[in-house]
Amino acid sequence: MNPRLDAPYGSLIDRNQPRSFTFEGETVNGYLGDTVASALIANNHWLLSRSFKYHRPRGPLSMAGHDANTLVQTASAPNRLAEELPIDLGEAVSGQNYVGSLKRDWLRALDWLGRFLPVGFYYRAFYKPFGVWRLWEPMIRHMAGLGVANLESQPPYRDKQYLFCDVAVIGAGPAGLSAALEAANGGAQVLLVDENTQLGGALTYHRFDTDVESSTTLLSSLHQQVLGHQHIRVLSSALCNAWFTDHYLPVLQGDRMFKVRAETCILATGSTEQHVVFRNNDLPGIVLCSALDRIIRHYAIAPEGDVAVLAGNDLAYHTALQAHDAGLSVTAVIDLRPSPDDETLCEALATRNIRLETGATVSEALADRDGLRLGNIMVSHLAADGSVAGERCRIACATLAMSAGFMPAYQLACQAGASLSYDDASAHFKISGLAEGLFLAGSVNSVHTLEAVCADGRNAARAALTALGHNADTPETVSCTARVNHPWPIFKHPKGREFVDFDEDLQIKDIVNAARQGYRDIQLVKRFSTVGMGPSQGRHSALPTARLIAKATQRSVTETGVTTARPPVKPELLGLIAGRGFDPHRHTPMHEQHLALGAHMIPAGTWRRPGFYGDPVHRERWIREEALAVRNNVGIIDVSTLGGIELRGPDAAEFMNRLYTFGFLKQPVGRTRYAVLTNEHGVVIDDGVAARLADDHFYVTATTTGVDRVYRDMLKWQAQWRLSLDISNVTAAFAAVNVAGPNARRVLEAAGCDIDLSAEAFPYLDYQEAAIADIPVRMLRVGFVGELGYELHVPSMMAHRLWEIVMAAGAPWGIRPFGVETQRLLRLEKGHIIVGQDTDGMSHPGEVHLAWAVNRKKPFFVGCRSVDIVMQQPLSRLLIGFSLSPDAPRPKEGHLVLKDGDIVGNVTSCEYSPNLDRVIGLAYAHPDDAAPGSIIDVRTDNGVVVQAIVTTLPFYDPDNERQTL
Amino acid sequence: MRGRPYELPIAQPPRLPCRYPCSHRVRCAPGSLTLSDLSLQRRSGLRGSDVPDWLVQQGLPRVDTPNRIEAAGEQQWVMALSKREFWMLDGNQTALEERPASVAVTPNAWPLYCQHSHVWWHLSGDDRAALMAKLCGVDLSEAVFPVGHVAQTQMARISVIVAHHDWQGVAGFSLFLDQSLAAYAWSALEDAMQEFGAC
Amino acid sequence: MKRMQCPLNGLRNISEFVYGGQVTTMPNPATCTDKQWAHYVFYEDNDIGVMREWWLHAPSGYWFIAERHNASDEIVRTYDASECFSSRVDFSASETAS
Repeated sequence: MNPRLDAPYGSLIDRNQPRSFTFEGETVNGYLGDTVASALIANNHWLLSRSFKYHRPRGPLSMAGHDANTLVQTASAPNRLAEELPIDLGEAVSGQNYVGSLKRDWLRALDWLGRFLPVGFYYRAFYKPFGVWRLWEPMIRHMAGLGVANLESQPPYRDKQYLFCDVAVIGAGPAGLSAALEAANGGAQVLLVDENTQLGGALTYHRFDTDVESSTTLLSSLHQQVLGHQHIRVLSSALCNAWFTDHYLPVLQGDRMFKVRAETCILATGSTEQHVVFRNNDLPGIVLCSALDRIIRHYAIAPEGDVAVLAGNDLAYHTALQAHDAGLSVTAVIDLRPSPDDETLCEALATRNIRLETGATVSEALADRDGLRLGNIMVSHLAADGSVAGERCRIACATLAMSAGFMPAYQLACQAGASLSYDDASAHFKISGLAEGLFLAGSVNSVHTLEAVCADGRNAARAALTALGHNADTPETVSCTARVNHPWPIFKHPKGREFVDFDEDLQIKDIVNAARQGYRDIQLVKRFSTVGMGPSQGRHSALPTARLIAKATQRSVTETGVTTARPPVKPELLGLIAGRGFDPHRHTPMHEQHLALGAHMIPAGTWRRPGFYGDPVHRERWIREEALAVRNNVGIIDVSTLGGIELRGPDAAEFMNRLYTFGFLKQPVGRTRYAVLTNEHGVVIDDGVAARLADDHFYVTATTTGVDRVYRDMLKWQAQWRLSLDISNVTAAFAAVNVAGPNARRVLEAAGCDIDLSAEAFPYLDYQEAAIADIPVRMLRVGFVGELGYELHVPSMMAHRLWEIVMAAGAPWGIRPFGVETQRLLRLEKGHIIVGQDTDGMSHPGEVHLAWAVNRKKPFFVGCRSVDIVMQQPLSRLLIGFSLSPDAPRPKEGHLVLKDGDIVGNVTSCEYSPNLDRVIGLAYAHPDDAAPGSIIDVRTDNGVVVQAIVTTLPFYDPDNERQTL
Repeated sequence: MRGRPYELPIAQPPRLPCRYPCSHRVRCAPGSLTLSDLSLQRRSGLRGSDVPDWLVQQGLPRVDTPNRIEAAGEQQWVMALSKREFWMLDGNQTALEERPASVAVTPNAWPLYCQHSHVWWHLSGDDRAALMAKLCGVDLSEAVFPVGHVAQTQMARISVIVAHHDWQGVAGFSLFLDQSLAAYAWSALEDAMQEFGAC
Repeated sequence: MKRMQCPLNGLRNISEFVYGGQVTTMPNPATCTDKQWAHYVFYEDNDIGVMREWWLHAPSGYWFIAERHNASDEIVRTYDASECFSSRVDFSASETAS
């Protein structure tokens, strides 16, 4: 390992704690605080990966995790940024996207074949003739693939948490720190978010002046004040990856996603340094100026060999000075401009014996002998129009730091609806049209000198405080005339390979060709060329692309624009978005008892219900046995999931009458009525049983999955009608069981039910209140399954005891618990429909034989007018019963009913009935075929058409004698 | 002092006429959080325009602002969920034998069945707001949700009423939620509590 | 995520609310034409501007009215339904049968 620079260089590493890891099978040494990338370059290893398309060698570009050059593979996951992976990760690391070895990738030949692979080539070349893409695709994906997913890897526990604040400050550079302090001092609760481990942004690595002291002092002062402030919460190593409406910010930190809800938001997201576009500008060793700054200041690394700097602005000179002062061998500064804006910089270089080449550019980078690292640069003259005018000299260097300028990190602001404009003359950016409560500070606001950046931060905080209703000082005047962007840092080379987009291996000609193909719109250029689609999302490619397209189409950069900024800003783990899975599910009070009885639980809406009792392997047998027990003896089913709604008050009957189709005003107390609900379209949407408990009190059931909607609809109507009643959803307050079968009465008598259960005293469809033991029971003599039956509704927390008592009392008869699957069969035998299964979004009462339940003498019910209209029209379909021999192919729900080959309806329910030894079902059929004995065609699996016989409903006990016993 | 989270051994509950999901359970992250089931304690609700006056006639406080809770005696509270819906909480008594009333106590005051429809849990400890921030989108920190405040909101995707009040002299959140979701909600809370109990 | 001011519960995430359609006036079902009724049931005017809409705060079961601009999605005002529906609504004919 090469020795590191002495402190204070190396602010992120701890020299007392050596660490190591393996890269490509070799041990790499470094220190705690190093990343995989920094440890590798400290060991003079710059080759980290192979590029996506041409398999070119790549090394770090930004050292900030802002490019895709450093994507590496670890044992657990692919595509991890080496600048973000800590050295003590504990996993072996390797490069990506190569065949053979990283240094000798067999597919590097693709680089030479590149001219045969122009942009859009895949779409045009591999899709014809039709179907041939299927052959090419696996090969192309293999060659252009990235890492390998580890399918065995177990994701860690990831979760989410809300965070609330008055001001969220995104970015903790000098602007963000100043803004956070000002806002907190003004009385706001501040959340400060930064993606780096260290606060300070550019202050931690850049030297803003020839005098290095001032920035260091400022940093430590801001640091101290912020960390000690009781109103500031700091989240470092945390990425704010999106802006959503009303300042809802997902902030990713470790294995958690914070859902930040801020009242106001200050974006101090800084700016992204831009690269210069010249031939072979992707060679390992060519980095952004800020990357070299970080390498020196954060990691105390002095790269081996000579260093050159390619400057499009004055800031790059500071990089050269800093590198020299740290002891690096800086040979030359090449300035794209005729001279620096600050003339003293020339002197500073001269005193350090650093050669200055102005009015020149690097026109080509040349690799060293292995072809894996920068060896030389070719410096060329620039003509007055900015084009390359001829070679000037060749300079040997292993590292080249470049800066063409700075583009605001506009992503979050533009996600919030702002627009980015660019002044072609001054090469200045401007972000305008900010959402309410959103403010910019610092270099994202195109303010670049240190004092101005801090003042801009304070001003943003003052604006936020004012928006929050706090008092704030009047804003300071901020002026910044520094020019940081070079207008045309793009230098075409006859042999190409001037990379605009490193992620996607796109060169100048690829972008220009897109315009030649007729794609003028930047969005179309993106989709055609894939520019900006890589992991760095156009951070470095958007500006040169906009410039090239603007030039090619004779427009300004503002007119060309950049592509729409959408979340996420950086690639993120789906596991963080998923977090913990919340899957609410309901249990009835008898849940434990069902499990003890061996119930096979199935989902029913959000509920878990017994489907039947017994192992699912013998499903048919359990259902048959349970069904026979109900028909011939007695069974009990938990129907607690049924919805329950109470209507109480003088207008309870009036309200029932307006909601449901039947008449309820004259329903006697102590009686139940079937209640059908239609919506305003006249479609049947729910049904239930309404019991009148008192003149002013109805208890009405609703379907398990429909009750929430029914209750909401009722509340909404009541908000308009203003009747005198109270509406309560009492589903959770009451649990219920249905005891059904010829022996049901005897079992309930044995259970000690304190009322006369005889048919005379308690006839079919009556309601009574009783007690079993000391449990108050609302008893409804109704039966979905068509046997003598009692529905017992009890306060929820007493239901487990009711179950125990009834089961014990029924033991001498062999009472059998039955599940919802059995119940569905039993009700089908009786031809009772299930709303939602046997009805759909078009079913009106006439189609499902419920015309009898519609009272058309009353003035109004919801949907009455629609019901009138549709029921006057000729029926187009009718729900009918059908039966089949048990050995015929069995239709399933949804299978089509045909008439003369045309679709006329579908099967809605179909089961084998052990009681009848027939397959029975319900289906919509043509009204002409509705007469019992008619034959309908049902198309089953694989197109097999079976002839089913239309059968009178109900299939079982046609005279309904059993339920009235 | 924080300790590893643990579940107190469940004393074999007496054979009670009522049984609640998770009843008699207490979950602790010592020094940081305690989640206890209070479902056996008495609670009743009334809804209707005449309720506020009726409450005053009973000697109970008038809570005019919706979503507030006020003490009505030692371990007793009145909670206002709207201008016409009020819950009475009684930490002194259990309510096991009573038949839930359904008849109006006064013409426009209808009893609600909250004793049977909702479980009642209590969450105390310094980290209670931080814990709830993992499950609920409403800021329940002391500064904006002080003692006396009530929030009708969602927790882990289910509806919940959160009431901030003292219980036996210690501030905490009472949570009221649909009893059928109790097993689900308890496990969601337990899961969220894990990180608060690290040694 | 958007937030909305619930007149009963205060500022809440939009995920706590359920949209209930525009506030419309039902034509008299006893006297209106089929066409008027169909217009009421099936048609939305789909104008751009501030609309009066029903919203439900689901955890508290509270319906209220929001005035929202359907292009900018700005919520101008929310208020209790009693501002628009202050008195009892009845339907003309009286009950003649049960």
